[in-house]
Amino acid sequence: MAQILVVDDSSTVRNEVGNFLKANGFDVAYAVDGRDGLVKLKADPAVKLVVCDVNMPNLDGLTMAEKVRGELGNNAVSIVMLTTENSPAMKERGKAAGVKGWIVKPFNGAAVLGSFMKLVGV
Amino acid sequence: MSHILPAADSALSSKLLVVESDPGAVNAIRSFCNDHGLTGLRVGGDNVLQVLASNVDLGGVTIAEKLDGIDGVSLGLRIRALRPELPIFLRRDARVGLDDLPERAREAFATAYTLDDIAALKPEIDRCIFGMVYPNRLVRGIAEITAQALECQFKGLDVTIKSPYVVRDRLIFGELFTLIPIESSWCRGYMMLQTEEGSLQRLIAEGRTYADEAEAADFRSVNMVLGEITNLVWGAFKNRYRAEDDSAALYLSQVPIVVNHAHRYISFGSTDPQLCFRCVLTDPTDPELPPVVIHQRFVFNLNWSPEDFRENEVSVDNLVACGDLEMF
Repeated sequence: MAQILVVDDSSTVRNEVGNFLKANGFDVAYAVDGRDGLVKLKADPAVKLVVCDVNMPNLDGLTMAEKVRGELGNNAVSIVMLTTENSPAMKERGKAAGVKGWIVKPFNGAAVLGSFMKLVGV
Repeated sequence: MSHILPAADSALSSKLLVVESDPGAVNAIRSFCNDHGLTGLRVGGDNVLQVLASNVDLGGVTIAEKLDGIDGVSLGLRIRALRPELPIFLRRDARVGLDDLPERAREAFATAYTLDDIAALKPEIDRCIFGMVYPNRLVRGIAEITAQALECQFKGLDVTIKSPYVVRDRLIFGELFTLIPIESSWCRGYMMLQTEEGSLQRLIAEGRTYADEAEAADFRSVNMVLGEITNLVWGAFKNRYRAEDDSAALYLSQVPIVVNHAHRYISFGSTDPQLCFRCVLTDPTDPELPPVVIHQRFVFNLNWSPEDFRENEVSVDNLVACGDLEMF
């Protein structure tokens, strides 16, 4: 069972984020886009935190977040967006979908580690 | 660490290929280039075509009417055929203008000038090469955004953004490039990043990127690295230059398109099958004519919801044949 699901279409970002999280003691799973993220989350509902890109093929991250709450009915998992996007309108959409946090890329692990630990409950 | 050269704050420059055999003329043209934001690159008439076949980032070409043993006008026509996107300026010994040349030559050259009146070249350079205004703040900002994106994607490397310049040529540098739309109320277009696959692959193998070192031989790892840099620059550009109330800022997801020539590979991010049509054009009266094959593909990589598919109902009365004028 993974604690954190990293959803990004870039394997570079999945490696960067995933390796950082693993090095800090987290169990990590990966998804390559929003559609894959939904499948992975459905198969492993015990995931505590989803770190998710916005712009991805097949299904973008914000729509995925909406489907996590709607279609999957999973209101327990925390969702944090990790994206180049920084528009207030998008953040509002994220908030409405129950997104807990928003990180503008590039990823800086040290800056977010404490928050991730709280969201996962360790 | 990143460095943005100071010239990024100043006016843009461009490269001018100088096809000359007369040292005096070369000096005069070089001086003109220095005074007007151009970098003159001298080349002989005997190898200019080879140079042009591979030289990227040019703004234009100036060629002497008379070269050692070579007719500059004829060579100019060959240059025009090879690189029609480049403006060519003809340096003449005495006569100013192109009127005495055959029509084909008049069309091939942007203008003619003499060393005695080289200043007359300036408005033509401005028209042909510096015709678009790129605000300094924008140029500087793009350099900063790009430096930041590169710096965070490579470990232990210095990033230097050299002085920006404008180009007229259309050659692709390297085997790998990405393409992503840039859209706002004040601009619409694409951003391209182009690079050589091998140099990026070496950095992956050496652990200088966040890609898996063990997968350095997989060209898709190289694609991913350039794709993420594209994504970072694209996002930062939007955040910096697109107003929140911009009507074009309505949320539309985008992902970079990655093209790898060496592997004849193009990725739209999704691995889904693509709808493809193969169209073949032949002449029924000429079986010797080789068929022309056109591949048409539809790539619905950002959203595909066939359950919502609908077709507009159009009555026959409302149909307008292709090419007809429809009056409103």
